[in-house]
Amino acid sequence: MRAAPQTEEEVADAVRQAAATGTAFEILSRGALRNYGRPVSADAILDVSAISGVVKYEPEELVLTACAGTPLPEIEALLAGKNQMLGFEPADWGPLFGEAAGNTTLAGIIATNACGARRFKAGAVRDHTIGCRFINGQGEAIKAGGHVIKNVTGFDLPKLMCGAFGTLGVLTELTLRVIPAPKRIATLVLKNCSAEAGFHALSQAAGLAADPTGLAYLPSKARAASAASDLSSSGVALIRVEGNSPAVVERLDLLYARFNDHDLATLDDDRTRAIFCEISDGGMFVSRSCDIWRLCVPPSQAHEAVELAGADFWYADWAGGLIWLDLPASEETAKRLRAITARLGGHATLMRASHEARTRFGVFEPEAPARANLTAAVKAAFDPGRILNPGRMYETI
Amino acid sequence: MIEMPVPDQTTLSRRAEIAAALRSIVPDGVIGDEATLKAYDRDALTAYGQIPLLCVLPVNADQVSAVLAFAARENIRVVPRGAGTSLSGGALPLADGILLGLTRMNRILDVDFANRCVVVQPGVTNAAVTKAVQNAGFYYAPDPSSQIACTIGGNVAENSGGIHCLKYGLTTHNLTGVEIALLGGERLRLGGKHAGDGGLDLMSVVCGSEGLLGVVTEATLRVLPRPPVTRTLLIAFDAIRAAGETVAAIIAAGIIPAALEFMDRRCIAAVEAFCAPHYPSDAEAILIAEIDGTPAEVSEDTRHIAEIASGLGAKEVRDCVDEAERMRVWSGRKAAFGAMGRLEPDMLCMDGTIPRRALPDVLDKISTLAQQYGLVCCNVFHAGDGNLHPLIVFDCMRGDELERAEAFGAEILKLCVAVGGVLTGEHGVGVEKKALMGEMFSAADLDQQQQLKCAFDDLGLLNPGKVFPTLHACVELGRMHVHGGRLPFANLPRM
Repeated sequence: MRAAPQTEEEVADAVRQAAATGTAFEILSRGALRNYGRPVSADAILDVSAISGVVKYEPEELVLTACAGTPLPEIEALLAGKNQMLGFEPADWGPLFGEAAGNTTLAGIIATNACGARRFKAGAVRDHTIGCRFINGQGEAIKAGGHVIKNVTGFDLPKLMCGAFGTLGVLTELTLRVIPAPKRIATLVLKNCSAEAGFHALSQAAGLAADPTGLAYLPSKARAASAASDLSSSGVALIRVEGNSPAVVERLDLLYARFNDHDLATLDDDRTRAIFCEISDGGMFVSRSCDIWRLCVPPSQAHEAVELAGADFWYADWAGGLIWLDLPASEETAKRLRAITARLGGHATLMRASHEARTRFGVFEPEAPARANLTAAVKAAFDPGRILNPGRMYETI
Repeated sequence: MIEMPVPDQTTLSRRAEIAAALRSIVPDGVIGDEATLKAYDRDALTAYGQIPLLCVLPVNADQVSAVLAFAARENIRVVPRGAGTSLSGGALPLADGILLGLTRMNRILDVDFANRCVVVQPGVTNAAVTKAVQNAGFYYAPDPSSQIACTIGGNVAENSGGIHCLKYGLTTHNLTGVEIALLGGERLRLGGKHAGDGGLDLMSVVCGSEGLLGVVTEATLRVLPRPPVTRTLLIAFDAIRAAGETVAAIIAAGIIPAALEFMDRRCIAAVEAFCAPHYPSDAEAILIAEIDGTPAEVSEDTRHIAEIASGLGAKEVRDCVDEAERMRVWSGRKAAFGAMGRLEPDMLCMDGTIPRRALPDVLDKISTLAQQYGLVCCNVFHAGDGNLHPLIVFDCMRGDELERAEAFGAEILKLCVAVGGVLTGEHGVGVEKKALMGEMFSAADLDQQQQLKCAFDDLGLLNPGKVFPTLHACVELGRMHVHGGRLPFANLPRM
């Protein structure tokens, strides 16, 4: 069964009817990220791809409002026309799941918190989402937040919707803050860098006035599989800076001075864009058929986390705060990674695995009882009948 | 007059017994005598006061939990309080409520440069965070004007801002983790030194929840490397519209200043008389633009901003030559609220946010309204992020001026919403603006928010009477979902 509402009102009608009959919906637009998250136990599909289009874009206010199903490339092109962009550097994970690139929608990005390499500096999707409209599990149209950046009126529900995987409401409209696109970007490459030296350099760079906006480490194998393959014969640390032209020169100078004991190279705008796009999107994993885990730890613990995780193929982003791992979805891996997060802090996500493995092992960090109770209560506050993407985050959510 | 929950007579009659119970939890931190309690009867929304039932000042998170467990068990309301600097009455006590003061929990627990964060107890002041890291060249970005007094627990509860929000965000953007105690005493860690959480982003709604969802017992804050250069421009205009156009043009040119502040003619005059920052006395409006970054970057942006302003008719662009002049220019802006005291004994500070383009029209309308209400209003404006602070001055001893000032303030906030803005940009709803929530939200919108409140506090005992115009009991909202005979959060303590 498939409902394909054409307006927000029709979405509300569909959900109201579903609530009355106890019909559970899997919410989809183009489905590029359908296999990210736990498999949903649904009776029907709610296709919201028709709820599409930019509602209002005011470059001078740095604010954009668009319908949930708007294709992301449409939004990015519109912003680029005014030299602006989304500040969380949206990642395109579609290709990781065998989908074409450029097939994600705004709501898909918001619901899965698909933020890229700028996360450690600019924040996650939530930090740029300032307003929304959604249909709750009782079919009511709800508005929250606003259309201005500085707003503390009422609870900050738009942020709660980010990364909620559609379990709290059917997003119909989103308002985001946008930022000016940097006039120039560049990358300093620390060549032939061991993991330990690389993480150390990233941590140092994060505290410098060079104010980097990208801090990644690619060990030899990930480097060889990336657009940076020619840069070194072993691991590389990548430090991205941006700003107006003089700023980029000054920032690179600061980094050169600090890292002059390394073998260095500089990458221009185009190469920087290509490499960090790959890093954000998990591009080095696209041609591999492996399962993927994403491990988030405090950046200072990155090296230890990598050693303990024991993956043969991996790379790190967010100054070491995010580690992409080629590890099988198994009882043993799940146990090992949960032990790492319990010891070092953080959480592990089973980003890509079979339907069966995601059902069996779960996708997100298991919650302690007190937190699980609160999560269940929050779910019930929005979707008491559990009809919106049930099971997508946790079995009972 | 503001409507607060009707005090519970049973609780009032049990005061001595409750005091004894609290003393068994915090032996040296229970205030029960009327004279000392008087010091806690209001926050910075000074028009409203209420002596609390009792005040308790715990020294650690376990005591906070124990107080909240006791309150849940005995069905007693609790109002959390930091330094009491809320401008919206967020910490206004209840006659039958325990005032839970967190200022004794004032330790900095961890300064972690490797992860660029600081872990603090809730009673640490905002300014103390920067102080703890400035020797290493770091700082904490949110800077509400009460920063030497206000606490981090209060900042998290109110999602406090300051003058650098356009570039550096509000508290929510600089917070990576919290520990909260729920009513009932259970403590939860949300976020941490790592990025995000596995499940729902609950921290994002705790921040800015005005003490209605939980009590902050610890916070992990992001600290940033201090930019090497900061430069300040003072730009004067003959017309408000030109100042507004300049702000828009700066943003359109892709420049995000660290701060961009606007003051109107009345405000300039009041400030000049108060502390003589040497603002151009004949200007209709001034902008203070602060640019930070690396040296050549700042020079380039400063030159560009000066060019834009001159092109749009600025009568003067003053580049502060040294730190002393920079401080003098800022002293005027920072003294704006205090300077109002020279005009009249009382002031109401409004806090709506508007789309920047609406500024000239909104100021025109405010000026018309001021005439209608027969009151004086000065305007300062965080022009970068659209946060407007109309300062209504009056004398509450003179006839109905307080009532007129409040009605005038409400009209201004309605105007902010009508032009596409919001009721409050950084001060919070509290008790001050709760009656106006219907201007922005439908009944369904507000019910949804109250449902979230119920998920955290189904007894409705934590800071009731704030934020929502009408407080519904959770059962009244009628959606508590009972599945297979089991309550959805069965492990939470219940009455």
